Amino acid sequence: MKAGNSLARALKWAAIAICLVVTLFPFYWMVNTSLKPASEIFLSPPTFISSNWSLDAYTTLLTQKPLLRFFMNSLIVSAGTTLLSLVLAALAAYGLTRFFPGGATLFVMFLLFTKMLPETLLVIPYFQLMSDLGLLNTYFALVLAYSSFALPFSVWMLIGFFRSIPREIDEAAIVDGASYLQIFGLIILPLARPGLVAVALFTFLIAWNSYLWALVLTTDSSMFVLSVGIANMVGEYRVQWNELMAAAVIAGLPVVVLYSMLERHLVNAITAGAVKG
Amino acid sequence: MTDGDVRPVQRGRGSSAWTGRRRWIGHAFVAPVFIFLCAVVVLPLAHAFWTSLHRVRGLSRSFVGLQNYERVLGDEAFWHSLGVSLQFTAISVALHVLLGLGLALLLNRLSFGRRALRVLFLTPWMVAPAVGATVWLWLLEPQFGVVNYLLRAAGVIRAPLAWLGEPALAFASVVVVDVWRGVPFVMLLLLAGLQTIPPEQYEAAAIDGANRWQQFRYVTWPNLRYLLVVASTLDVINTIRHYDIIGVMTAGGPAGATEVLPVLLYNTAFRGNRLGDAATQGVLLLIVVLSFSAFYVRITRPDRGSPAA
Repeated sequence: MKAGNSLARALKWAAIAICLVVTLFPFYWMVNTSLKPASEIFLSPPTFISSNWSLDAYTTLLTQKPLLRFFMNSLIVSAGTTLLSLVLAALAAYGLTRFFPGGATLFVMFLLFTKMLPETLLVIPYFQLMSDLGLLNTYFALVLAYSSFALPFSVWMLIGFFRSIPREIDEAAIVDGASYLQIFGLIILPLARPGLVAVALFTFLIAWNSYLWALVLTTDSSMFVLSVGIANMVGEYRVQWNELMAAAVIAGLPVVVLYSMLERHLVNAITAGAVKG
Repeated sequence: MTDGDVRPVQRGRGSSAWTGRRRWIGHAFVAPVFIFLCAVVVLPLAHAFWTSLHRVRGLSRSFVGLQNYERVLGDEAFWHSLGVSLQFTAISVALHVLLGLGLALLLNRLSFGRRALRVLFLTPWMVAPAVGATVWLWLLEPQFGVVNYLLRAAGVIRAPLAWLGEPALAFASVVVVDVWRGVPFVMLLLLAGLQTIPPEQYEAAAIDGANRWQQFRYVTWPNLRYLLVVASTLDVINTIRHYDIIGVMTAGGPAGATEVLPVLLYNTAFRGNRLGDAATQGVLLLIVVLSFSAFYVRITRPDRGSPAA
């Protein structure tokens, strides 16, 4: 019995280890390649750890390629999206949790509906409208587009956080003569700060990882965001894979760091609805 | 009214004028989001419907009724693409759920390291799909890619394969990448579900002499069944409308082998410059997605249903 148990445990950890290797291998290879000098990329057999590794690919990217520009574009668009979504979502979440205790089912259904629309369908009229308005290649168009798919998620997450703030606090403030806007700004927002921070970071990451909208709404390479700029590098005549992988590291690293920090919130937010159903 | 009798008024039962005012204020807080979403989602959606009823040539558009639908539905490319989409989604989702369940079961009752492992396993899902797909392009590169090297070194294949160059292989490749990216999300949901099963149920089963398999069959499975349906449905909705991975890796090729509906849509609109047809294909894709969404809404409580991811 005892021996069987430890065998089972060994098998279990072996299975976990195999899955882990398969899951993480692409990341290892991405980092490994990004550290190789250009001459080593096309070696066969490939080197699994470069003996003369360097940060050359990164320096080339940052000094000779427009990667920094892409990075800044991603940063501006994601920050703008976060700001816009957070303001609108906080107002809505306050309204929904404080004035519609029944849950405003219809509105939540509307959010769900917008969240489930295929983005390839929306992107076509969006492109037409923005091109008619002369707004292609602007941060404004990207922020609007990104907010359209980030918002339902932000609202939904904030509802959870706002709901956990006891309503007795509001009622006490009303007795003291506070207006609803004062309650919102001076009581609810400060109390919901951890939630707001989490939602802000998620919104930021959703925007940061987005691809299709920016692909369609930007035609000028100086307006490319990271994901589009990187995918575009593949189309170049001779792909510099070490630089491309270095770019992928630069795009992916902030995401992985932020997500790992937020993992607990993420799990709660995503699973709460589905699991408790 | 004195301070002393504020309470009944606050409870909202006092006067209908008060509840009316309250509702009005509530609407005022929700209105900005509603108006915003109408402007950036509902308006473009209506525009797409409108476009699908027109022939668009450059700047001119003329109303053609349902002609676009007639043409798109009579077009073999559309049916081919729908078939590819359904195959891609069915296989990917089945693998997401199967592997996600396996992983969740592996991680569920670990005595240590569960949280760290959960973060590690989640990594493919965190990274932008377009960036992940780019990394896979390099892994699968025919001449110098590491996948060919490893498979040859292991004796699985004799000659390097052009993973994205042949229809069947390309389809398999994009499925693999989508599975790599999609398993973590399902695992996350199922793991959370497993954690909610009271340990007493397992203890009771163990006392009754149930073995591992019986514990799974009579405790885990009934507890998890509902969540499995929810997770699969969500996953179908997310997979069938996903563009990025295939868009970056093959753009639908070779010979349309990976041209799922979202990719067909993009190609029709932005490579073929046929916006009317693309909008029509989009509306048809929407119908497919919404039928799954309707199922999702039916099985979950909509006010709790997660619009996540």
